[in-house]
Amino acid sequence: MKTVDVDRSLCDNHGQCAIAAPEVFRMNPDGVLEYEPTFDDSLLDVVEEAIDVCPVQAIFLKD
Amino acid sequence: MSTPTVDIPYLNISDPSFAMQSEELRNAREASWYARTNYGIAVLRYDEVSKLLKSPKLKQGSAQWPAHNGVHGGLFYDWWTKNLLVLEGEDHHRIRRLLNPAFSPRLIKDLVPRFQALANELIDAFIDQGECEFIRDFAEPYATRVLTILLGIPESEWPKIARLASTVGLALGVTFKRDLDKVEAAVAELYEYADELIKDRQANPGEDFVSRLVLASRDGDRLSDEELRNALVLLIFGGMDTTRNQLGLAMQSFIRNPEQWALLAERPELGAKAVEEVMRTNPTVTWVTREAVEDFTYQDLFIAQGTTVHLFTQSSGTDPLAFPNPEMDLLGEHAPHYGFGGGVHHCLGHFVARADMSEALPLLASRLADPHLIGGDEWLPDSGNTGPTRLPIGFTPRG
Ligand code: HEM
Ligand code: HEM
Ligand code: SF4
Repeated sequence: MKTVDVDRSLCDNHGQCAIAAPEVFRMNPDGVLEYEPTFDDSLLDVVEEAIDVCPVQAIFLKD
Repeated sequence: MSTPTVDIPYLNISDPSFAMQSEELRNAREASWYARTNYGIAVLRYDEVSKLLKSPKLKQGSAQWPAHNGVHGGLFYDWWTKNLLVLEGEDHHRIRRLLNPAFSPRLIKDLVPRFQALANELIDAFIDQGECEFIRDFAEPYATRVLTILLGIPESEWPKIARLASTVGLALGVTFKRDLDKVEAAVAELYEYADELIKDRQANPGEDFVSRLVLASRDGDRLSDEELRNALVLLIFGGMDTTRNQLGLAMQSFIRNPEQWALLAERPELGAKAVEEVMRTNPTVTWVTREAVEDFTYQDLFIAQGTTVHLFTQSSGTDPLAFPNPEMDLLGEHAPHYGFGGGVHHCLGHFVARADMSEALPLLASRLADPHLIGGDEWLPDSGNTGPTRLPIGFTPRG
């Protein structure tokens, strides 16, 4: 298992992470980000893609 | 439904003299978070723009454009109705997932030395004259050649690409129906270009941007040839005029703020900050259009399904409620602007645009001291996408 962290002071709820890695990130009905901090190793590729596409670069991998 | 009609400002946003940076708009923003317009409502303040831009109750508002203009078929129609900007839901997300990896900021970084060389080459050509027509001599060739670099097209092809893209651009004007034949021919020619590029990279894949698009796959899914060429044309179209206009507006902003230009010349590491500040206070995309997918109420306002909602960028980016010191300030700390839109349709090319403009501006600042207008400038109207189409400037060559 791996862990990911979103800096809420930066996150602007664009939801691009939820497009890139819906397994880990989702937007609630109010348009606010919710996510699962721990995820299976097999999802590392898509999580790295979410990290890349975040317009404000608010997502960080923790080791 | 009992929305008070008193005190709600009204703006005629398709009047050619309508100005974003005006007393009228500032007064409207002070009076109300939104205004009524001749075409839907306009959202004026930062908080409300930020929330509505990402609201699941709104979708991209331009899908019906060809139909509104009486165009129901043809090459342009097919291209427009299938492009990323107007697709929604899973259809949109699927394409976006397949395009995303080629736009990774890590890959864009590798292009920075080429952006720098290009900027210097263009400046070299006019620096000794002490004046230039900034759009013709810098903004347009820079914006277009950056795209040819990205797409791996010979840079010498740029005038042709620029001409084709601006012909397709006639499709967004009021004379769309009259220009339809020209538009169709230009789309056909861009398609030929795109098809050649795709075939070439399929046969000889490399590490370049188009190869990455061609090879992109996810969960066993990939882009079809038709989806690839649709996307390539969208990138040419969505990346060229926007960057050209934004660079022209940047020059206008710095001419108005000479001390900020001097600061940028001294501290080139402020290039990225310069881009953010220009786009917050003087964005080319003056509004982003959305359409209500269902009836809903936001704050005190009932918004019926189908209502057009314009989210104003410059107005929100200088809203005193969110920015107590709204003036451009390269050393200030400011909340993010919405010059690249936001939500699921957030600009796909923003890392490219940010990277190329944040190289261009400090290089210009370090070589062109005291830029000033010398007359003869011409401007697009403030509705939709704005900027100078001609910007003659004088300056003192430096270094
Ligand atoms: C300063 C330059 C640029 C500005 C101001 C800009 C602005 C925008 C804006 C405001 C949107 C969102 C429109 C909406 O939500 O209705 C957008 C979307 C888009 N932009 Fe940019 N853009 C720029 C450069 C680029 C470049 C260089 C490219 C491509 C290389 C590009 C490709 C796109 C694409 C494909 C979309 C559609 C994304 C989607 O719907 O998912 N843009 N841009
Ligand atoms: C061939 C490609 C495109 C065509 C034909 C086109 C067409 C249009 C149309 C019909 C409008 C509405 C004009 C109005 O209401 O006055 C518009 C405005 C706009 N376009 Fe494009 N567009 C294209 C590509 C793009 C791309 C890729 C972007 C993203 C960078 C973009 C961003 C915008 C924005 C932000 C506006 C202003 C406000 C609005 O959404 O209505 N356009 N465009
Ligand atoms: S993409 Fe970035 S800004 Fe958008 S919701 Fe995800 S973390 Fe937040």
